[in-house]
Amino acid sequence: MKALEKLDEHLKTRVTDLSKAKEQGRKVIGYPAGGYFPEELALACDAIPICFIQGGNNETLKDAGAYICRFFDPFWRSQVGYLTSGKDPYYTIADLIVIPITDNHVRVFSNTVGYYTPEIESFVFGVPHVKDNLALEYYLQGIRRLKNKLEEFTGVEITESRLKQSIALCNRERELLREISLLRKSENLVLNSKDFVALNHGSFLADKEVMIAILESFIKELKDTPPLSKDGPRILLTGSTLAQGDSKVMDIIEDTGGVIVMEEFAEGIRPYWGEVKVEGDLMANLAESYFMDRVCPGWFRPGAERLDFLIQLAKDYKAAGVIWYQLLYRESYKVESYFFPARLKKETGLPMLTVESEYDAMETGPLKTRIETLIETIRR
Amino acid sequence: MADYYDELLKLCGFEDREIEEERPRIEKAFERLGIGPEDMETADSWVRQNHDVTLKGVSKLLGAWLKELIDVVLARDEGKKIVYYGFPAILGPGLILSASSKDVFVSAPDMVLDHTMGQIFNKLTPILEAGEANGLPPGHALCSLWQAKIGGIAKGMIPVPDLALASSYYCDMGSKADDLVTALYGVPVAYIDGVMDSYWGEFPDYLPERVHYLGAQINQALKKAEEVLGIEIVPDAWERSQKDSRPFRDNLVRLVELMKADPVPISITELELMEALSSSSTGRGIREGIRAMDILIPEMEERVKAGRGVSEKGAPRVMLRAGHTSDPRVTHLVEETGLAVPLTFILGSWGGVRVKPKGNYHTPGEIIADYEMSGGYYHGTEAQIKFYEKAAELMKLDGFIATYLYNCRPVATISHPQKKYLEETTGLPVLSLEIDGFDSRAYSADSLRTKVETFAYMLKEKKKSAKA
Repeated sequence: MKALEKLDEHLKTRVTDLSKAKEQGRKVIGYPAGGYFPEELALACDAIPICFIQGGNNETLKDAGAYICRFFDPFWRSQVGYLTSGKDPYYTIADLIVIPITDNHVRVFSNTVGYYTPEIESFVFGVPHVKDNLALEYYLQGIRRLKNKLEEFTGVEITESRLKQSIALCNRERELLREISLLRKSENLVLNSKDFVALNHGSFLADKEVMIAILESFIKELKDTPPLSKDGPRILLTGSTLAQGDSKVMDIIEDTGGVIVMEEFAEGIRPYWGEVKVEGDLMANLAESYFMDRVCPGWFRPGAERLDFLIQLAKDYKAAGVIWYQLLYRESYKVESYFFPARLKKETGLPMLTVESEYDAMETGPLKTRIETLIETIRR
Repeated sequence: MADYYDELLKLCGFEDREIEEERPRIEKAFERLGIGPEDMETADSWVRQNHDVTLKGVSKLLGAWLKELIDVVLARDEGKKIVYYGFPAILGPGLILSASSKDVFVSAPDMVLDHTMGQIFNKLTPILEAGEANGLPPGHALCSLWQAKIGGIAKGMIPVPDLALASSYYCDMGSKADDLVTALYGVPVAYIDGVMDSYWGEFPDYLPERVHYLGAQINQALKKAEEVLGIEIVPDAWERSQKDSRPFRDNLVRLVELMKADPVPISITELELMEALSSSSTGRGIREGIRAMDILIPEMEERVKAGRGVSEKGAPRVMLRAGHTSDPRVTHLVEETGLAVPLTFILGSWGGVRVKPKGNYHTPGEIIADYEMSGGYYHGTEAQIKFYEKAAELMKLDGFIATYLYNCRPVATISHPQKKYLEETTGLPVLSLEIDGFDSRAYSADSLRTKVETFAYMLKEKKKSAKA
């Protein structure tokens, strides 16, 4: 696909481009994956948002071991490793790191930034774990403080019109991702999951306008693309985090003949189902969309909304099975994985396989055996 | 007529009259817990090995835990409306509910099981295994306190509650495990949400928004409790609960003050028994705990006056994070190496380490939230580490054994920063020690011994050379 090649080209020079932009006075705002940082605010003050989404490399966990004990989600330990080792330039190019605090795994990263790398300015705000008006108000207060911080940091006022423009831009990106993703409801699949994930991951790093152009041309290209093979069982892949660089489980599913038709992840996949309204109180609209409308991650309580959503996705995307891919020590997902399969079975009749990772190469064999068994079972 | 358990109960501070009065309840509860004559010899030697039962106050304290256990086990049979809260907990809401109706029983049953089935009967393992088999498997660093709670319910030892008060302001595991209880047993949950979103360098300050949010969540949870339990929270419930539990808090302050003595007059294990009771019970445990303290304080004063204690005079003094809830050998290990332990992080709250709340709030929820924010525990990682720093001066410490719980994420966040920070700010050596504070199967005293002994040796040599 030419669009994907374009994305690759763009990302190859992205760090250099960011350095140049910094020389011209623009600020780079780094933020960790999770979907609670409204990029619109950064864009509205002419800053460049860059999301930290790298993971999947066990070596980075060793780097993190100097700063935190082992018993945290490997994705978040990776974030600590990348930040402190400087091995990934995206993590050190940021002028300001904004951290929406969701659970204790994210707090580890926030502590690291605050205590071990005080030379990098940071800003934190909280994301509550329940959905009600009190929580919405708390989130809104957080992003209002963030808006003030960004204005002060960049020296650019976030006016209504600037914010409206950036919302429109981000809405367009979400709309295009949604359009592509929805194509997978069809029995005649025209794109594979890895391409969609590459686009989604790319959207966290690429220039927003370039990304939109790439997504538009991708959709055009799809119109002339012949359908993929129908043989494999359709798989709904879900879990806490799907990082860039963490393709092991996806590779195994594809290698064993499964076809991933949907990825539902709290971190590493940009939420694209909703849109931010451009009328009325724009800050309130951002809060409504990013906090209330978005299907909550597993660390919300209760987690019923997400589990309902998974069942709906499984039906809509005609999945034949669910693979629940959780990262070791992410307790919210571990606990849910115990009681969700019975509900899934009852409401859809589908089987679910839970697999776990600590980004270790040694896992590949056992993962392969288990995934193969599931695919084989579905085929029969 | 005497029965097989009488001697053990007397060892645990029960009076003859109390045993007679409670006999039917004791028997019913023990039967449900699977405690029989064959357990008495083990329990007797286990209690004598781990607790200083020559102190009447300590015996009474063990008895207070047993009474709390009996109350938890029989709460359903006795027609109570049962509320469980997650540990560690903001205790205020539980105290308010308890003060509002005699029909409501509010407790942290996991802590009760740990302190009784663990510390008295040494029979916690099968309960933990039942927790592991019912949704909280081993090998994933899941909370062993929660394994005890789920295991206790699964084995039918403790009743299924009518309501769970979920501590959604601290730990992700706890509130998610409350969802598990809902999935398994259909228990409604009142979430008390909050976010530990402080930035490094913020403590002792905190944003008013945090107090408003947590406070409003507490108020909202209390409303839900009223609906679910069919009770009305009486207007003076907060004041009354504070008044009733004040002697407990005041006594804890006095006990901590006595631990400033050299030698340290009592094992920290016993004080932790006391402190943990104050945060695990909202009813009889509190009243019985106050009685036990009234006896223990003069006993300790006498020891201090006579210059007697559990460590050698001049022994290096270290602070721990907390005592082990189910296996006292882990806590004793530190004292066995010749170190004096005058304080734990948890007890520090009662010993002048606490920052004063801002105090500009009026609803019960906000008053509680303000108090908890200033307490630091629910503020963030930095606040917890600064507690240690303050305690160093208060207790004239020579070092820290800064334990962290591998299977408790909010505590594990301090694993590495605490050592660096405390060594830099206090100049004192820090042993950052990974443990499981609730289950000693993987982190036993013996598995930790080499590390602790080496650290103790170093501290003793350091102190010797400083004297020379």
